Amino acid sequence: MKIQHIMRVLSVLLILTLIIVACGGQQEATPVPATAPPAAATTAPQTGQETAEEQAEEMPEVPFDYPAGGYLERAIKGEFAGTTVTVDGAFEGNDVDGVKFSESVKAFEEATGITVNYIGNKEFEGSIAIRVGAGDAPDIVDFPQPGLFANFVRSGDVIPVTTFISDEWLSQQYNDGWREFNTVDGQEMGVMHRFSGKSLVWYPKAAWDAAGYEIPETWEELMALTEEIAADGDTAWCIGIESGAATGWVATDWTEEMMLRTTSLENYDAWVAGELPFDSPEVKNAIETWSELWFNDDYVLGGRSSIVSTFFGDAPGPMFADPPQCWLHKQANFITSFFPQGTEYGVDYDFFYLPPVDAAYGRPFLVAGDLMAMFNDRPEVRALMEYFTTPQSVSGWMEGGGAIAAHKTATREMYGSDLDWGVSELVNQATSFRFDGSDLMPGEVGAGSFWEQISSYVAGSIDLDTAMKAIDASWPR
Amino acid sequence: MSSAKRRKRLGSLFVNGALLIIILIWTIPTLGIFISSFRVRNDITTSGWWSILPHREWQATETIDPRAEGLDPTEVMVIAGVTGTFEEFRNGVTSPDGKRITWIGNRRIGMVEVQEQVWTVSWNFTLDNYRQVLGGQSFEFTRPDGTVEVVPGDNMTRAFLNSLAVTIPSTVIPILIAAFAAYAFAWMSFPGRKWMFILVVAMLVVPLQIALVPLLRDYRALQINGTFLAIWLAHTGFGLALATYLLFNYISTLPRETLESAFIDGASHFTVFTRLVLPLSVPALASFAIFQFLWVWNDYLVALIFLGGNPEFELVTQRMAAIVGSRGSEWHLLTAGAFVSMVLPLAVFFGLQRYFVRGMMAGSVKG
Repeated sequence: MKIQHIMRVLSVLLILTLIIVACGGQQEATPVPATAPPAAATTAPQTGQETAEEQAEEMPEVPFDYPAGGYLERAIKGEFAGTTVTVDGAFEGNDVDGVKFSESVKAFEEATGITVNYIGNKEFEGSIAIRVGAGDAPDIVDFPQPGLFANFVRSGDVIPVTTFISDEWLSQQYNDGWREFNTVDGQEMGVMHRFSGKSLVWYPKAAWDAAGYEIPETWEELMALTEEIAADGDTAWCIGIESGAATGWVATDWTEEMMLRTTSLENYDAWVAGELPFDSPEVKNAIETWSELWFNDDYVLGGRSSIVSTFFGDAPGPMFADPPQCWLHKQANFITSFFPQGTEYGVDYDFFYLPPVDAAYGRPFLVAGDLMAMFNDRPEVRALMEYFTTPQSVSGWMEGGGAIAAHKTATREMYGSDLDWGVSELVNQATSFRFDGSDLMPGEVGAGSFWEQISSYVAGSIDLDTAMKAIDASWPR
Repeated sequence: MSSAKRRKRLGSLFVNGALLIIILIWTIPTLGIFISSFRVRNDITTSGWWSILPHREWQATETIDPRAEGLDPTEVMVIAGVTGTFEEFRNGVTSPDGKRITWIGNRRIGMVEVQEQVWTVSWNFTLDNYRQVLGGQSFEFTRPDGTVEVVPGDNMTRAFLNSLAVTIPSTVIPILIAAFAAYAFAWMSFPGRKWMFILVVAMLVVPLQIALVPLLRDYRALQINGTFLAIWLAHTGFGLALATYLLFNYISTLPRETLESAFIDGASHFTVFTRLVLPLSVPALASFAIFQFLWVWNDYLVALIFLGGNPEFELVTQRMAAIVGSRGSEWHLLTAGAFVSMVLPLAVFFGLQRYFVRGMMAGSVKG
């Protein structure tokens, strides 16, 4: 009696599932015929044996540049229509960045008939290793950490872009500095895609103007301003480094900023490469420079003790209280997505460049960003890699905000707001720029001991020497 | 009144009190999330959910511009009949008539408020969180020609159907297999039975993470990677050891006489299994079904590896991870998301609980 009842329920459920799966299958199948017609249309003019000039005349109009004679050009002619390229990365396929990515590749898909299938997720660092290890590598991987990318290059999984993209084209699309980020052991293995600027200080513009504060040009001026705000009865800075398992990364950013501002680029590069130990006077001096600011309870909202427990995304919130509870917040340009709804750039908030400490080291700029690496060598994958060398491949982020194209061919018109364009201008004015050091270090340090030890140091549970020695000890030799 | 009676009453009072406290500790966070899910984003980030309860708050009755009054904040000031320094006014100075004089903001642009304590509730509720979770978020793009286009994000429907399509077979298949296996281990004698059972129990301690890479390789070879079949099999395999062990424990305690009399009457193993063992072990089946359903429904990693993070096969857990944004800027939506994803497991629990309770009662009064 009872068992019959259960069996009936189970069978109904099973049938239901099968129906759902069947429906899912249909949904999956529909995109293919949808992309096929333009493919068929573009295949028609392709005849093969023609001179380059004739081909150029026949090329359909596309909203982006492409290298002559490359795979992207062949793709636009429809040669690879109907194929699929899989891209993996560190954001979910349908979160904000996922939508921006699909907006970015729309022009490519329409022009070539190739389907770009994005399958990223937030456990990317772990899942990509599993996937590549099992021989199930995606065609292209969007790496937010060049350090992780370098691991895959050294294990021989990445196919170098220079095998099919000419040096001439790359130097036309990128400034030299950018190409170094995807160069491992002297060989250019991937292409830079987009970045965010980190050396930015945000302030509440309306109240700022009313109070008559001036934008500081040097570190002394910044400290004087901090002191002035304290004398006026407020705490100048909002600082929070809590970020779940990644707690501490904000402090590593400040360390990198100060490394760029208090010592030479050579020392920064040596530090990132593990040649200059953390327990050296240069690194300790850099950390002490920001400690002076962080550990003064008159300068930081809530005092030193609140820094570790404040979520980095919630940290700038008090800046938008009326009147502001703090006046300055250093963070990359993505922080605007955490600002309260309804606040507007140029009205409620604005940003300035985190000033240099020592004029001898110029105006360095700290950036972080994503690069694209190819894991499977097929013509349509090559075509998409070529597309990623154009600024239009970042259009989703440029129009929707949040990241800046790494290409020097990007123009003001491509950006949806003055904010992102302003950041890219600041980067162009910088005398030098470097990639976020913790993303370049080995994972054990850059995404491990550096975060942990610096957090303990900020919390006051260990002193600087102990923290630095612990990080050095964790560096894999 | 006897002391025994009093002690008994005291004891029950203690037990009830302890239970009440445990229930409160258990439910208050859930209640907090539930309330938060109806609050607007800026409220969630600036104040706690308990501010919906009536509380006393200082509210301005009058605002004084200190500059118009010619007050110098570097010296001792007299405001509304109260004397104090800037620091004192910043913290608020209470005047003799119960009002509070507070300097809001800094010396430069601050204002002085005369405040009164009033009872207030912040009932600024919205359904927007649920609308975004169920109906999808929307994203704005400013095109090069200056037009603003709103691109809608995914809604919850597909993720919900996908999760059902993964969870139901992943619950039913291991139960069916494990019930057969448990019966065989408990009531059939064959060589190596003991060792095989020990092997199954030993499987319990193997973490599923170490099986991910080899399984993925095999799936690739079989070309079923990224299909529902792959994830059904994976969950079946990962759940089977516990299922067999649980069901064995239950089935082996069934009264020997009942089964033996069935055998004497000429029943085959299959008849005994379907007509006697299965109906008698409904409570064990139901309790394992609850376990397995919750585990599969809440699983993120296994689905990620074997369904491949493909948006086409996105599950509710992946939808939740996506909805908060790459850096977690939309975390306020998690409150509504938690309740949406909780609905089905709750329904399963209460639906199966009936069998659970009835099964436990059955047999308890028979001799």
